[in-house]
Amino acid sequence: MIPDGRTPVFVVTGFLGSGKSTLVNHLVSREKDSLVIVNEFGEVPVDHHLIEAAQERVVALPNGCLCCRLRGDLEETLIGAAMRRRRGDIAGFDRVIVETSGLADPGPVAQTLFADQALARDFKLGPIVTVVDAADAGGRSSAAAIARAQIASADVVVFSKLDRAPDPSTAKAEVESINPQAALLEARFGQLDPALLTHPKMGTYPIFRAGAPHASSIRTFILGFEKPVKRELLERFLAVLVELRGADLLRVKGVVALEGGQSVLVQGVRHVFDRLRPLEAPATGLVFVANGLGKDEVAALWRAMSTLQASAMSCQKM
Amino acid sequence: MFLNMKLLAHHTLNGFGGMGEGMAMQLARDGRRVLWLAHESAPKNFTAVDVSDPRAPRVIAQTDLPHAQMRSNSLEVAGDLMAVAYQVTQFGLEPAGFELFDISVPEKPRSISFFDASGPHSRGCHQLWFVDGKTVHMACADPELKPHNPKDDQIYRIVDVSSPSRPRAVGRWHLPGTMQGDDAPPPPRLAPKFDAGFRAHNTNVYPERPDRCYLGYLDGGIMVLDISEPSRPRLVSRWTNSPPYNGFSHTVLPLFERELLVVSDESVMDHAADWPKLVWILDARDERHLVSIATLPAPPLDAFRSRGGRFGAHNLHENPPVPGAWKSDQVVLGTFFNAGVRAYDLSDPYAPREIAYFVPPAPEGSPAGSVQINDVFVDDRGIVFTVDRHAGGLYALEMKL
Repeated sequence: MIPDGRTPVFVVTGFLGSGKSTLVNHLVSREKDSLVIVNEFGEVPVDHHLIEAAQERVVALPNGCLCCRLRGDLEETLIGAAMRRRRGDIAGFDRVIVETSGLADPGPVAQTLFADQALARDFKLGPIVTVVDAADAGGRSSAAAIARAQIASADVVVFSKLDRAPDPSTAKAEVESINPQAALLEARFGQLDPALLTHPKMGTYPIFRAGAPHASSIRTFILGFEKPVKRELLERFLAVLVELRGADLLRVKGVVALEGGQSVLVQGVRHVFDRLRPLEAPATGLVFVANGLGKDEVAALWRAMSTLQASAMSCQKM
Repeated sequence: MFLNMKLLAHHTLNGFGGMGEGMAMQLARDGRRVLWLAHESAPKNFTAVDVSDPRAPRVIAQTDLPHAQMRSNSLEVAGDLMAVAYQVTQFGLEPAGFELFDISVPEKPRSISFFDASGPHSRGCHQLWFVDGKTVHMACADPELKPHNPKDDQIYRIVDVSSPSRPRAVGRWHLPGTMQGDDAPPPPRLAPKFDAGFRAHNTNVYPERPDRCYLGYLDGGIMVLDISEPSRPRLVSRWTNSPPYNGFSHTVLPLFERELLVVSDESVMDHAADWPKLVWILDARDERHLVSIATLPAPPLDAFRSRGGRFGAHNLHENPPVPGAWKSDQVVLGTFFNAGVRAYDLSDPYAPREIAYFVPPAPEGSPAGSVQINDVFVDDRGIVFTVDRHAGGLYALEMKL
């Protein structure tokens, strides 16, 4: 086994007022060796005052939106934290929890971790946790695109304020229609077993539900592979897909078996993909959460490329 | 300080927590796991700790040395036999050599025999390797030899203990030019400040290559010896980093299937005065031509050199070929004195990565003012056991990878 050793970065996102800070407070109280990075949209750093525990480890980024204006600061904060840990200036931490702005698309945080080699040496993307207010479906409609992106990116969706929701089934149906692959958890007063975040049941629906209703144009599907694939072909396929429709790839994730016996973890958000990392796990195919892009188109591209490559190889043999 | 390692238990060993570089696990007949530990200095000889539950280690035996001018420092266990090294502080003192014990009842270790290596030019045995129950490979003086320089007294020696009550010396090797009567000219010494001597340290022999000894030889670098004829070991190859480095090559860990050697130096001066002391990765595809391809990324010098005591490389987990020991050719663990115990991923041998570490706080009573992590042993449950040189005793850690 090739050990990883990198520290996971949990991304906790969710719409304004959904209960992110309450959840983060609870996580920090249960998982003491966490480094929490809080980000707010606006001039007044409100949320970090709500983080009650581990004050000395809290790094607040009070200026602007994490996803657009403060990406550089997140990199610096993480690299600085790794350096301080290595030097013994701080004791250490087992995970990082990034609480994004309520108006942030979490995708760029993931992209930062994939694309920055210095960062990727010490950190890896952990679960993207999206907090959804079960009692306030209407509030999300004020910035529907961002709310949908947050749900579409999620590995885990945590429903909050269930005690106040007259009918949480509406919120659940909304999430399932956007991202049926996400694990669905419930938090009352922000309380949740942190182990569920690191070892969630992988999706409410282990296999994508055919015919699931979709919100707007977001599609979720699995591209399976009948047999192990060539690494070079997989890399080219992903590159072409990104070139053609990168902006619409809200989340791509899966384990793919390669020729030669190795399996690799594929992870991508929009235009940015992590390098293929060896992983000892059963192949799952590639799970897509995409905007305006269906399985037929993606499967057609794969078929075309694999056929053309096979043809090219037979020509070379002649 | 930690990364992917968590403290399970800490035991100061009844107030005698100054530990050497002998750590070996016995899988006792009654199912217990007993960790045997050599002390760094008198008055204690060795301590046995029941670590069946690594969260609740218990001292079950602790023995005393006959006098204060000696130390055990090193021990090894093979089945119910244990070999313990004895090194004296002055030439000519006794006992110098090693002692064999029957540890079938761990609470009552019973002496079986003593191999005497004392003499006017001997400080006895500093380190030994004993994994097959038949042969002790050791860094020990030979009373028949007289070194040109007294620092060069301990050589590589092979002792047959297949009859445990009658240990019998069967072979030896020393760096040519270091003993009187040699035809070879004396090797050039390091600068006086760093001259630690040309003598053997770790003497590892593995079942994968029973005809090879992987030998650390302090200022002489490392050697691969052909021991297919134990009475006449022959040099296959030698690799040295000093000068320009500052000597004290300590351990050679072969990763056979990877065709790599992992070589540790030992830091022997406080405040990193002999820096850099590193762990080296050698390409051993051709054992006659060893090539250095990388070093393990060291903790930052400026952050550690002034923390007290030594800082730099020392012992490795040596994949001992015995039941109960963890073996890996992907992950290497080493000890770095005040920078604790550290684990490295060698999946890319050209670019090793640090993946875990644990640095305990300064133990109470430590003269160094910092922890001085001295040795490490990992069992086949993945529990990392590590010891402090002066006062801290034993730390049991869980490695989360």
